[in-house]
Amino acid sequence: MKIFDPFVLPFVLGMAFVLTYCFVGLIKVILQLPKDDRKKFLRSLVTPKTAWANIRDLFGDCLFHVKIWKRNPILGYMHSAIAFGWFMIIVIGHVMLFTLKPLQGVEIEGFARTFTNFYYPIFFKYFAEEGKIFGFLMDFFLLMIISGILIAVVKKIHSKIVGVKRVTKFGFADNMIRFALWTIFPFRLIAEKTNIYAFWWLYSIDLLIFMCMLPFTRYMHIPTEALFILLRHAGLNAREPRKGYALAQIYSCPSCGLCIDACPMSVNDKNSGNTSAYFMKKLRNGDTEEAKRIAETCLMCGKCVKVCPVSIESCDIKFSQRAETPYYVNSDHSYLDVILTEAQRSGEISSNNNKVLYFAGCMTQLTPKIMRAMKKIMESAGEEFQFLDENGGICCGRPMILSGKTAEAQAMIAKNTELIKKSGAKKLVLSCPICYKVFKDEYHLEGVEILHHTQYINELIKTGKLKVNKGDVNYVYHDPCELGRAFEIYDEPREVLEKAGNLRKAKSEKELSICCGGSLGSFNLTQKERDEITCNSVADLMFNNPDEIVTACPLCLKTFARKAPVAVKDIAEVVSSQL
Amino acid sequence: MKENILIIGGGAAGMEAATQLKKLGLTPIIIEKSDALGGHIAQWDRLFPAFHPAKDVVAPMLESVKGIDVLLNTEVNDIQCDADGFKAVLTNGKTIDAKAVVLATGFDLFKAERKQEYGYGIYNNVITSLELEKFFRTGKDERINNPKKIGFVHCVGARDVKVGNTYCSKVCCTTALKQACEMKEVFPNAEVYTFYMDLRMFGPGYEDLYLKTQRDFDVKCIRGRVCEVSENMDGRLVIKAEDTLFGKPLKMTLDLLVLMCSMEKNKSIDKIQQQLGVANNSDGFMQNRDMYLGMNGTAKDGVFVAGTCTAPKSLPDTIAEARSVAVEVFNYINNK
Repeated sequence: MKIFDPFVLPFVLGMAFVLTYCFVGLIKVILQLPKDDRKKFLRSLVTPKTAWANIRDLFGDCLFHVKIWKRNPILGYMHSAIAFGWFMIIVIGHVMLFTLKPLQGVEIEGFARTFTNFYYPIFFKYFAEEGKIFGFLMDFFLLMIISGILIAVVKKIHSKIVGVKRVTKFGFADNMIRFALWTIFPFRLIAEKTNIYAFWWLYSIDLLIFMCMLPFTRYMHIPTEALFILLRHAGLNAREPRKGYALAQIYSCPSCGLCIDACPMSVNDKNSGNTSAYFMKKLRNGDTEEAKRIAETCLMCGKCVKVCPVSIESCDIKFSQRAETPYYVNSDHSYLDVILTEAQRSGEISSNNNKVLYFAGCMTQLTPKIMRAMKKIMESAGEEFQFLDENGGICCGRPMILSGKTAEAQAMIAKNTELIKKSGAKKLVLSCPICYKVFKDEYHLEGVEILHHTQYINELIKTGKLKVNKGDVNYVYHDPCELGRAFEIYDEPREVLEKAGNLRKAKSEKELSICCGGSLGSFNLTQKERDEITCNSVADLMFNNPDEIVTACPLCLKTFARKAPVAVKDIAEVVSSQL
Repeated sequence: MKENILIIGGGAAGMEAATQLKKLGLTPIIIEKSDALGGHIAQWDRLFPAFHPAKDVVAPMLESVKGIDVLLNTEVNDIQCDADGFKAVLTNGKTIDAKAVVLATGFDLFKAERKQEYGYGIYNNVITSLELEKFFRTGKDERINNPKKIGFVHCVGARDVKVGNTYCSKVCCTTALKQACEMKEVFPNAEVYTFYMDLRMFGPGYEDLYLKTQRDFDVKCIRGRVCEVSENMDGRLVIKAEDTLFGKPLKMTLDLLVLMCSMEKNKSIDKIQQQLGVANNSDGFMQNRDMYLGMNGTAKDGVFVAGTCTAPKSLPDTIAEARSVAVEVFNYINNK
């Protein structure tokens, strides 16, 4: 029995390099985590709940690729065939080590055994007999991998066949490593079947190329995703765009490009370079200027996060990127105290535990129809209510957060919290999803139930306080990003609309709903580019020819009203007209 | 020479172009979608800067188009172009052959409802500049009830990224000051305020009007945009604005608010425009060949433009363009 052949050396070298690189990288990421995050991470590893989630996702995401299967079964098969197939031949290779019998009476022992164990599973057939069952399994998985590669080749030539419109454009390194990956398995098959010595070399050199390039290309997602899953379940937040948790995410992005078709900006091909796949790539390549530009162009609608098969939180990384840009304006928040005293003097804020507190927010102040409708609804339901910001209020803080200016936002948040707590109300109703998100995420209002008006109206109807007459208008509902994708409030507005009229479906609904284009998130999209996004979103909503477009966000309302061929209304207006 | 020239639009530009083309020996045909000629200007009472009655301009125009074929309540359904010229199918089923087409389709007034924060269609006492003009003509408007305090908001739907119109609508500044003076004439005891971004008094006599507005009519011009309008318990309007010269926010209670609505591209012509191969410019108006020597031409030979279909314009500008388009069409037919 042969123990060694020089052709195993390229593989051994490559493998040693990758393992070292990954180990150093792992230490680096963990050291870069802020202290409290690191503690949180280590604790999560031994907490039963997160540990179980870790195991579930390590198998589900890394091994079986459940999320890709759900998104697109052809791509799911393609990826599983290659990744799962490869995993299986490695596992079987190692299992076969146990079946090794001393050939020609040469027993391999001690260090030699350890050393051979390193490469035997990879080149098994050259050194030993596989046996019938194992031989079959190895061939089966090898052919499965090759079938996956065939799909990948088809996807490369004509991506539309597999249901993908736009694919990520790669540079030299990514193209080269892909070519290496595609050829590894055919080489192995030929080597195993023909035993032509040169193919064993080709196979091994291919592995060397693949493994040496791996850390510098998108294939780094293979080892990194496992770490990312653990960090994600620990409940961390990216705080710096290229360090710690963010770094793990950057290397976990496989540049698959599923976010490119999903991104509302891609309606203009020129802008598909602003999608998250490219953002992560720029970060990985250290192109800070471009990463900054993309982070500031993004609408922050969060659709890329929802479709991402790896669940990369690209919006959070973009926020941390934005926070790096210095803010030159000196904020003066002295007015906050004045507003508080004015409100108190006018007796607006008085303690009463039973009342509903209504916070319209800046955007709703600019759409008085919504406020009017809400007033009518609450009166008609016999609710005791009070407007928090009828005569001028404080911004919820979201625009500042979107710009990455956390300290400025916190000043407003603190004052609003004070006002709300003083009112003694137990229920806070908001009309603007932008406010809703910030109240839910950033405010600490223990004991106060925070509701968006879609939820509140639905609750009023369900408890019988509000009677809505069903009309015969056909509505379509647009899910605002910050209500839908952020909080999955999908059913309440639809239940309400079904009470008020007929609900028709849009082409893309719920988590796939398309941003209206008016988002405050983007700093540098031109009006024309925004209009393209709006028109695309309107066309999607008009898919089933509704009579009216209904939304639940004052900003979506204003944006759509510019381009929609039919009336655009807030859900509160619809309900108040059907009382 | 019996050459049909199809003129789409019977407003100031369409009528004046038709008159001149007839004088040049061609045969203009006016297609007008409404039931009368005159366009927007016929709805106006008096014109800036000298309070000239609009009907004194419109009446001679109407007089001079007598004898020209005019099809009212008619639109173009379909238009095809071949080597001989254009073949237009009208909504009344008739077909017209023409050697050239003049697009004089004018503008649409910005729908004030879209600027919801100003409360048009929500609060009773918010009206548009056009409605105020109608009040001056007829003396009737239920919403205008001896107001004590009146506000004018400039640039409604213009120079406003939030509604998607970044262009200046050119005539609203002067119209606002004219209407402010007229309000003082009707209600001498009322306080009148205008809220402007900056006053673009570009024409002859316009700057004088601005001085007169302040000196003779005591209208107060405040530099700053109105941001929100709400209604108080008495049904009066509470506006929030900023006085940018003082650098202070202000709040004011008014009895009447007039919105100076901007001009927007007339969209009812979009389909025909597309068939003719005339694109829009970045403001959404029609794209002419260039803004100097080619101002009446388009990317398509034989298709001409005049008036506010290419950009917001004052009446004198529109009349000048209507006359120049007649010469352009004449030269085009003669050189063919």
